[in-house]
Amino acid sequence: MKALALLRRLGLPMIIGGFIVLFWIVVALTIDLWSPYDPFSIVGRRLRPPSDVHWLGTDGLGRDVLVRTLYGVRHSLPIALVVVLVSSLGGAMLGAIAGYLGGKTDSVIMRLVDITLSFPAILLAMAVTAALGPGLGNAAVAMVVVSWPVYARLMRAQVLTMREREHVEAAVAAGAGRVRVLTRHILPLCWSPVLVNATMDLGQIVLLAASLSFIGLGALPPTPEWGQMIAEGAVNFYQWWVALGPGLAILSVVLGFNFLGDGLRDLLDPRSAQ
Amino acid sequence: MNRRDLISGRHLGWALAGAMLAMGVGGLPAMAQDKPLVIARNMDINSLDPHRGFCDTCQIYFSAAYDTLIGLGPDNKTLTPKVATSWTVNENQTVFTFKLDPKAKFSDGTAIEAKDVKWSFERLKNLKGSPAFLMDDVASVEAPDAQTVVVKMASPNSEFLGMIAAPYMGVINSKVATAAGAVAGPDAATADKSEAWFLANSAGSGPYTLAGYRADDELRVKRNGAYWRTAPAISEVVIKQTKDAVAQAQMLQSGAADIAMQVDGETAKTIKGGNVVVSTIPSYNYVYIALSPGAKSNTVKLTPEVREAIAAALDYKGLIDFTVGDAGRPQPSPIPNGFPGSDNLPEPKQDLAKAKQLLAKAGLEKGFEIDARFPNMNVYGVDLSQMMQKVQQDLAKVNIKAKLQPLTFTVWREAVSGDGVPLTAVFYAPDYYGSAQYVQYFAMMQGSPWAKRAGAANAPDIINPREADLLKQALAAPADQQNKLYRDLALEMIKDKIIIPIVSPDMIMAHSKAIKGVRYSACCNLPLDEIARN
Repeated sequence: MKALALLRRLGLPMIIGGFIVLFWIVVALTIDLWSPYDPFSIVGRRLRPPSDVHWLGTDGLGRDVLVRTLYGVRHSLPIALVVVLVSSLGGAMLGAIAGYLGGKTDSVIMRLVDITLSFPAILLAMAVTAALGPGLGNAAVAMVVVSWPVYARLMRAQVLTMREREHVEAAVAAGAGRVRVLTRHILPLCWSPVLVNATMDLGQIVLLAASLSFIGLGALPPTPEWGQMIAEGAVNFYQWWVALGPGLAILSVVLGFNFLGDGLRDLLDPRSAQ
Repeated sequence: MNRRDLISGRHLGWALAGAMLAMGVGGLPAMAQDKPLVIARNMDINSLDPHRGFCDTCQIYFSAAYDTLIGLGPDNKTLTPKVATSWTVNENQTVFTFKLDPKAKFSDGTAIEAKDVKWSFERLKNLKGSPAFLMDDVASVEAPDAQTVVVKMASPNSEFLGMIAAPYMGVINSKVATAAGAVAGPDAATADKSEAWFLANSAGSGPYTLAGYRADDELRVKRNGAYWRTAPAISEVVIKQTKDAVAQAQMLQSGAADIAMQVDGETAKTIKGGNVVVSTIPSYNYVYIALSPGAKSNTVKLTPEVREAIAAALDYKGLIDFTVGDAGRPQPSPIPNGFPGSDNLPEPKQDLAKAKQLLAKAGLEKGFEIDARFPNMNVYGVDLSQMMQKVQQDLAKVNIKAKLQPLTFTVWREAVSGDGVPLTAVFYAPDYYGSAQYVQYFAMMQGSPWAKRAGAANAPDIINPREADLLKQALAAPADQQNKLYRDLALEMIKDKIIIPIVSPDMIMAHSKAIKGVRYSACCNLPLDEIARN
């Protein structure tokens, strides 16, 4: 009964999202143990359609599309996690400082946020990656550059609300220092929206990383990265199966994280769910 | 209705019938020829100045806008008169005399004179652009009278007449170009300020003139109203930037393009409908990989043994199969199949044991890492990224780890001409029928473009002095001995292992049934003036 109640509380989207994300995490951790082929090896004739041997066919070099798609998660998930972690922690910290200190510090940080947000994310990411040089590492740096401002804004807004609360005033009156007030009395109450946004962002970062790889600025060949694989599928346009696997993988991951984020929001902020 | 109305009605009917008849006889075809011809192509233009530009699309444009003294016939071997009506060559092939056609005139109506030819040839040499190698042996250009041009060579050159047919040798209107900042003198490389002008204007005597150019969008030429030879049938031609083969094929099928120039074999199979003609022609174009022993990012010394090991590690048959299927042929040397000196050359073969042995001899049995940067393009139906992934797999079998990095063509060009790229992939199409161009461009001779790119400045031991000597002999030799000398040159270039040809893809030309006269030219790629609507 308790399990049923928990499931009901979590809600269907969160369960579906959780299953999808869990599936990909398990694949990422265990694929070496059960994959029938190496993702870099030529295992059959090139551009063969799906068959019982190669469920999603073979690509332009005769590599198994399904195996490469499954291996692709090893590039997409870690990069999304690192980018979201760095940008949410960094952005939130800057936002908290801006919101709590106010004045010139606030102005400088928020103008920086405004400037970064004034560029379309994909364009800025492209420009940064192009300047640093192609590669997944540089693409990750570019994605952090475009993602942190949202967290800064979110956290600043939260801190601005929280710092007026009575318990904060009481802490200040009791003689607590600025750092203590911020870290002990304000921040612990501000993380929910950041967490929800970060979960939703994971999917978006996977999509952005794939976009950068698609235009040749992210993963380099022969990395089995989804965007890179879709770019190869574009070359072999009429062999639809080459792009199908990575396309479905991106769809499922983005959907999974969005469901998870939605569910988390409902769980952490029941008012918005209503 | 009165009689007057009846008469006017009858007249109107006759007039309409007459107009329709007139349109049927001459009007409709004329209207059809007025419709712009659209060519879907991934353009590789680096300049629209004939003495700076050097690319496949440049060949099409330059041959359309700038007539040369001599043309290349449809058999891709015979030389035909163009601006020059006749020419003579002295016995030891050092003095070439051209008589110009008195009717020849530029697109602004002024007559082509010998001084324009002299100015053009001198500018080509002095500007030191990529096609300047065509003028390497020229000692002087003289214009004794308005209709005579005398070119004197520093050493015998049996191929100079062939070179004259290259599109970069087109005659420029010296008065117009000079006014636009063009300079032909010895200081041309620094003093010439006309490159931007050439992006918006042309100053030639070809069948077309430049109507507009927008990088990464389109190149538009319109019929030269003052053309002095047979005017081209089509009034306007647009080369539309279309990056990949699939998009080109789709444009052709939808009627948005009349010609798709870079369709690969797999995509060609998908072209359906009765309105499209797909023809496969063996071409002289080829795709090759190149090694640069002098590149700064080399992790090991690319000695002759290491280069030979790399060449021996490649699965040539597999590479052809993976890139073009059955629509291509292996090519042993940088001199393409069918050109003088290419007969019975040893075909490249994969020999992994030999490759491992050579690497062990060089103390590299554990392998090494090599930086591989290449243009991210699909050329002649070959996707370079796909090809390089196969190269990477082949090299991995002998523990060489190639780090692949596809680049845009412009970035690649800068990289390869700057610090150099240890391993790259490129393509080449001939500029005229003759083998000397390949030696001048690819052989390891002082100052040759590929000797520079291979880093001769940092690795002078790559220079092969025998090649310069053999080329000199080949250019001075009578016709019956040239084949053997060029074959010797081909063998030397194979031995260099700097340029390693991978595949000579067949040219797949797909075009609408509504047009005719589409053909592949060894000098000019696609002669636009021969195309007409049915």
